[in-house]
Amino acid sequence: MTIRKREVARRIFAHEFNNSTYKIQDEGEKSPVYVLTPLGLKCNRIFIVGALLEKEEAKPDSGIWRIRVSDPTGVFMGFVGRYQPEAFESLLEIEPPELVAITAKVRIFEGSRIMVFIRPESISTVTSDVRDYWVVETAKATIERIKRMKEGNEDAKLAKQIYSTDLEEYKNVVKQALLTIMEGFIEKAEETEIVDEEEEIEEEIEELEDIDEFEFEEEEWDLSELLED
Amino acid sequence: MIEKRIEELTQQIVQRFEKSGYKINAKEVLKRLKLLMLEFKVPENEAVRTTVNYLVKELEIPRESLAVESEFVRISDITKPNQWVSLKVKVVQLWDSNSPNISQVGLIGDETGIIKFVIWAKAGKKEVEEGKSYIFKNVVTDSFGGRMQVNVNRNSEIVEIEEDVSLPPREIEVVGALISIQQNSGLIRRCKICNRAMTKGLCPIHGKMDGYDDLRVKGVIDDGENVYEIILNEENIKNLTGIGLKEAKNIAEEFLDRTAVLTELKKRLLGRYFKLIGNKGERYLIVKNIEFLKVGLKEEVEELIKSLEVQA
Repeated sequence: MTIRKREVARRIFAHEFNNSTYKIQDEGEKSPVYVLTPLGLKCNRIFIVGALLEKEEAKPDSGIWRIRVSDPTGVFMGFVGRYQPEAFESLLEIEPPELVAITAKVRIFEGSRIMVFIRPESISTVTSDVRDYWVVETAKATIERIKRMKEGNEDAKLAKQIYSTDLEEYKNVVKQALLTIMEGFIEKAEETEIVDEEEEIEEEIEELEDIDEFEFEEEEWDLSELLED
Repeated sequence: MIEKRIEELTQQIVQRFEKSGYKINAKEVLKRLKLLMLEFKVPENEAVRTTVNYLVKELEIPRESLAVESEFVRISDITKPNQWVSLKVKVVQLWDSNSPNISQVGLIGDETGIIKFVIWAKAGKKEVEEGKSYIFKNVVTDSFGGRMQVNVNRNSEIVEIEEDVSLPPREIEVVGALISIQQNSGLIRRCKICNRAMTKGLCPIHGKMDGYDDLRVKGVIDDGENVYEIILNEENIKNLTGIGLKEAKNIAEEFLDRTAVLTELKKRLLGRYFKLIGNKGERYLIVKNIEFLKVGLKEEVEELIKSLEVQA
């Protein structure tokens, strides 16, 4: 028997993640599931830092909580249930909105509409400097993937074929993300009023609520099946 | 079948000598190989070696001038590019290769050091496995990006060996996020005899034993490309959180629950970025020094934005 290596937690913005619709799974029941993103990243686990905007029970008394976590580019949707006790316990103590770091497995739902979501393994509250570093790190990782799309390894080629990826779009998203944290630095440097983190997040929420693209449609899902493994 | 193989080997030997500027008689080589392998049933590598040795003596070729059996060297001795060498090593790590020209790439090591290796797809070698030891014969040293590496080409040979080549204690620096803290972290009890961590008052070796309290964190640092399993000791933890063994015991008493320490440590450490230096063991990175990552990002962000504008 070969011991499966621990999957690396990839750094990815919500925009790239949410545009992913392609599942890769080797044969064999226990093979890990990967999601191939439009920039050719094959990921099974991700690490994100963003604002936890909402948590609510997916269905009354289901014990499964739906969460929405925002980064500067969009919103990650996730489910936390009793199969992830560590994440579940932390989530109970966190009142949104709050900045959080989440390590999660990626999942893909193939119903009438294909969509990706995350299944957190651990959640912890963090400060804005952690978020800033994550944005920079994730921007760098994304830029690297954009470069690779031009050179074209196997995953990149496949991604190009499936998504006909518009690289300019992703460059712009990365740039916008970097600009949002740059604003923070400039404010700090000018020693203007210290921005109330809570306010900042509130604004983000308002902005995000306007985007109905990420609104989650209520469908009759058997959630427990999705979350088991 | 075997006749064909003998012809191949003959070609190889002739080529090796040619490379060093000696023309030898292929028929002679073929005859000797046939005698050894068909008549005397000598194994292939022994037959080749014997034939080569015979030719070297016969033609009075100085051994150094023949690039047939490169000298065995230690990894720490590799300082110049374009040298043919042989190594006795363990495969430390295999990396993902992005290039179709590369069969395998990763790290190999011996007692003296660790070096990157590249097996070219053209070399047509059997794949090596992580953790196994091999003789890397006739590989070429190279420098790439200011660091030495060895390349495995068509003339190289890789032979697996039984011996377990030991590796040097390996100090590395890592910057990454602590994405997981294991359940057996926090305020633990260790066996008085062997210092192993005990679960529910039981030592895995000595059974029911007297124990003593200790503080540790077993966790995972992830930089988005690689995963490092780390162990933090009491000193590391105290430096980071201000919680040492004494403070941990206080927390446990206050909450009447030893796991309260773990909860508190998770709150302060999980999901944060760290810069750390440690020694790579077989599995864990034993941390010598660890601190919260503090970097000025402003300039880097400016540069990244600029680079995106140039590309666009």
